[in-house]
Amino acid sequence: MAKVNVKVCLGTTCFVMGSSNLQELIDLVPKKYGDKVDVAGSPCLGLCSIDWEFSKAPYVKVNDTVIKEATVEKVLEEIDKQLK
Amino acid sequence: MFIDIACNQLKKYNQNAYGDYFVSKRKPDEERLIAVLSDGLGSGIKANILSCMTATMLLKFVEGDQIPIKDAAEIVMNSLPVCQVRKISYSTFSIVDANDEGHAKIVEEGNPDFIWIKNGEVQKPSFEAIPSKTHKNRCMKSYKIELNLGHRLIFCSDGITQCGLGNEKLKLGLRRSGLIALVLEKLKEEPEISSQELSKYIVHQARNIETDRKPKDDMSALVLYCREPRKSLVFTGPPFNQKNDAMYAKEFWDFKGKKAIAGGTTANLISRELNIPITMDKTISIGKLPSCSYMEGVDLVTEGILTLTQTLEYLTNEQWDIDNAAGKLVQFLLDSDCIHFMVGAKINQAHYNPNMPIEIEIRKNIIKKIKAVLQDKYYKKVSVQYM
Repeated sequence: MAKVNVKVCLGTTCFVMGSSNLQELIDLVPKKYGDKVDVAGSPCLGLCSIDWEFSKAPYVKVNDTVIKEATVEKVLEEIDKQLK
Repeated sequence: MFIDIACNQLKKYNQNAYGDYFVSKRKPDEERLIAVLSDGLGSGIKANILSCMTATMLLKFVEGDQIPIKDAAEIVMNSLPVCQVRKISYSTFSIVDANDEGHAKIVEEGNPDFIWIKNGEVQKPSFEAIPSKTHKNRCMKSYKIELNLGHRLIFCSDGITQCGLGNEKLKLGLRRSGLIALVLEKLKEEPEISSQELSKYIVHQARNIETDRKPKDDMSALVLYCREPRKSLVFTGPPFNQKNDAMYAKEFWDFKGKKAIAGGTTANLISRELNIPITMDKTISIGKLPSCSYMEGVDLVTEGILTLTQTLEYLTNEQWDIDNAAGKLVQFLLDSDCIHFMVGAKINQAHYNPNMPIEIEIRKNIIKKIKAVLQDKYYKKVSVQYM
C-alpha cells in the first residue's frame, strides 16, 4: 500500500492560526501508524491566499485532501479514512 | 574594501555609567566611516556626560563637512573646559574619518596613541603636532594614512593601557607595548579575527590583568579592520507582478555571496522557478517560530513575517545566541558586512484577517526597521530593493 503523506502548513497565517500546536503529530503519527504515514512541515501550502474564507487556517494536506481548521483529531481521522 | 568596526567597553568598578563614549556613523552614499572615542575626566555619570558631549559634537562637526577635521578637532580642543580640581581638560578624544578607498584622517588628543597594524607589524606613521593656542598642556596629533586590505587600527582609552597599574607583575600597567604584544599574539592565532571579537578580547584581557578583575578605570577598545566585504542577500516576499518571478529568482541565484530566504511562499516560488526541492526540519516549531527549511545552494530558509519580527527584536535587544529560525537569521546578518534585501511587495490578504494577532506587520515596515538597526547599531552596509 502506498504511503500516506501528511503536510502541515507552516506559513505565517497557518502558524499563527494554530499549526504550531500540531507539533504533536510528529511524535504521535509514527507511534500509531509506523512507517505507513509520513508527516512533514511545509513552508507554505499556498492555500490561505486562494481560499477566500481566510479564517479557515491552519491547513493540513493528507495526500491530496485539504483539511481546513486542522486539529490533531481531524488529521488522525483523515489518515484513518485514507488507510482503510 | 569594507571597514569592519566594533567597540567594546567596560565600566569602572562600582560605577553605574560608562565614562568613555564611542560614536560612529557609516555614510553609505559617500562610502565613508567616521568614528569618535572620547574619555571623560573621572568616572561615572560626570565622565559619561563629558565624553558623550565631546564625542557627539565631534561626530556632528566632522560629519557636516563644513570645515576640515583638523580644524574641527582644534576648535573642540581649545574650547574644552578645565577641571577645577585637576586643572586638566575635561575629556580626551580620538577621531577617525576613513573611506572605502583607504584614505584615512585621524586626530588624537590625550588618548593613548592608536596602533596601526600592517602585515603583522606595527607602523609608525608621521604626524603633525598641533599645540593648543589657549591651553599649554593640550596638543593634538593629526595623521593622514593610507589603509589597505588586511590593515587594522586599534584605539583605546587609557583604562586599557594602564590596567594592572601597581600589580606585582606590571608595575606600570599593561602600557601600549603590552597591548601591542597582546594583539599581535592574538592575530597570529586568528589572523582573520573580526573587529568585534578582537575588541572583546582586548577588553576581556585588560580586565583579567586588573586585581580581582575589577577595572580601576573605564575601558574601551575600538577596532577597525579593512577586509573584503562579506556579501549576503535576503529574499523576502513574492514580487508584486507574478510575471517577474523568474527574473527575480534568477537574480537571486546569480548573487555572489550568502543567500537567505524569509517566507514560505517566497521559498516555494524560488523552488518552483529554479527547480530545487525544499525539505523541512522534522520539528514543526522551536519556541514560538516555525522551524527552518533547507534548499540546496541557499544558506538559510525561514518563515517570513514572524521570523523577521523576532529577528528585529533580537537585533534591537542584542540577543545573539538563540536556537531558533530568528536566531539563525540574526547570526546570518551579523556574519555579513554588506546586506542586500530583495523585498516583494505582493500582499497576502490572509494576513489582514481580523483574527490574526496585531503584531503581524507589513513586510516593508519590518525591513525598514531591520535596515535601521543593522546600520545604526551594527554598522552594516544595507541596501533594499523593492520588487
